[in-house]
Amino acid sequence: MRHVYAQNTPFEVEALKGVSLAVEPDEVLGIVGGTGSGKSTLVQHLNLLLEPTGGHVLVDGADARTLAKNELRRRVGLVFQFPEAALFAPTVEEDVAFAPRQLGLGEAEVRGRVRETLALLGAAHLAERSPHALSGGEKRRAAIAGVLAMGPEVLVLDEPTAGLDPATREDLLDVVRGLKVSGTTVVMVSHDLDEIAEVADRVCLLDAGEVRALGTPSEVFYASPAAAPATVRVASLLRSSHPEVGRPVRLDETLAALKVLLGA
Amino acid sequence: MKNSDEGARRSGPPIVFCESLTYSYPASTRPALTDVTFGLRAGEYVGVVGPNGGGKSTLVRLLNGLLRADSGSVRVGSLDPATEPYLVRRRVGMLFQNPDNGLVAPFVEDDVAFGLENLGIEREEMRERVREAILAVGLQGYERREPHTLSGGEKQRVALAGLIALDPEILLLDEPTSMLDASGRREVMERLENLRGERTVLHVTHHIEELLDADRILVLNAGRLAADVSPEQLLSDASLLRENRLTLPPVLRLAAGLGLGTAKLRTPEELAREIGEKSGARAR
Repeated sequence: MRHVYAQNTPFEVEALKGVSLAVEPDEVLGIVGGTGSGKSTLVQHLNLLLEPTGGHVLVDGADARTLAKNELRRRVGLVFQFPEAALFAPTVEEDVAFAPRQLGLGEAEVRGRVRETLALLGAAHLAERSPHALSGGEKRRAAIAGVLAMGPEVLVLDEPTAGLDPATREDLLDVVRGLKVSGTTVVMVSHDLDEIAEVADRVCLLDAGEVRALGTPSEVFYASPAAAPATVRVASLLRSSHPEVGRPVRLDETLAALKVLLGA
Repeated sequence: MKNSDEGARRSGPPIVFCESLTYSYPASTRPALTDVTFGLRAGEYVGVVGPNGGGKSTLVRLLNGLLRADSGSVRVGSLDPATEPYLVRRRVGMLFQNPDNGLVAPFVEDDVAFGLENLGIEREEMRERVREAILAVGLQGYERREPHTLSGGEKQRVALAGLIALDPEILLLDEPTSMLDASGRREVMERLENLRGERTVLHVTHHIEELLDADRILVLNAGRLAADVSPEQLLSDASLLRENRLTLPPVLRLAAGLGLGTAKLRTPEELAREIGEKSGARAR
């Protein structure tokens, strides 16, 4: 898949240069890469918000261009960076209900979905509140709930934790783990490798519009430990003298491996 | 409130002083800031941390006169930002989160010069100040680059150069690295390190690791000043961290989990070296 912005103008930029990538059912796929590597451009293709200049997007084997846009966007939900900018309704409940209502569901069904979604995000207590009176982390959850209430098979999150305090960030990572358990596939873009290390089943590393590496977090991060999460950097520095440390990625795994090393 | 007189303290009267500062947003049920008192002395580097909604951004807006306190007082130099915002903003430079919001000119050097142009400074002096500011952020060779072609870290350095050219006494940094990747964050932090001691800095961030060398860290939670402590005190106080929803970055968490001191082990390299030595000693 290729994507060229402002094609045939002096401002032409080739943001994606032949990207091939499959998202597996029920996985958490982390998309990482430096600023300007093409992360956001890539994920906006997954529901055809951007159309590829060359190549295809297939959803369940069908060319996404042959699917009705409404159907496609119900199945592949996209949460932008700073999604709280789009909150508009007088209460969180109404805001979250907006999208499912467009699907033509009955009122009882809509209410049920809103309740379930808010509960899943740990935001049930916010239902009656005005979105504008919430804190940053609460707004972020309300905005994600609005997309999740559509019941997508794939949820795409673009930098979902940007600007959140560390504890709220961890709560949101718990939400991602919960989504996976409930059978939603998650594609998560982040510039924070430490958080990708905690939740991703696979990692796709983009660099200048190309897939530089794709595999398990351990495969991808140990292949280029200089640009890896802190845990991997520590363990890879110790591997030459202490191979028994292995290739841990998550913080708990790494701590356990290092404890063994220190005989603690 | 946790408070301490330990650690590096600079002498002299405060250059920024807030006393019993209280502010509520219109139609809000609880104050965004309640009874906040602190001072910054000339040359101090002070961090501000705390949960979302804790009052960090409100404090910044009160300091540069975007908001007016309900009660209590704010003094920057001897000026009240609410009544003399333009004079205050000549003395205070501000750097914000989003690197795309601050850049206005077609080329890097024009952008750095933009603030000076508005002050009616002589052309030769302006050139010299722009050159020095670009040097200070390590962007020599970028003068004729177009800002939109730069990385996030480079854009923030351009914005920082624009501030330095104006030679403000005080820098207010409101999460200047939160939208940058790891390398962009390192670039910006290196440049900020160089300003230490030269200027008075108030640095708001969610990343405690950026504040390990700060003179002091203020913790704002639910609008109140929950602590005014040294970085060492904050890092070693588990309950203070927990109460204020602060978590340590991975390297410090690993160090703490292994029972190693967190004070000197900040980078993966330092932690790996320490573990290597300890495990080597055990084997022997």
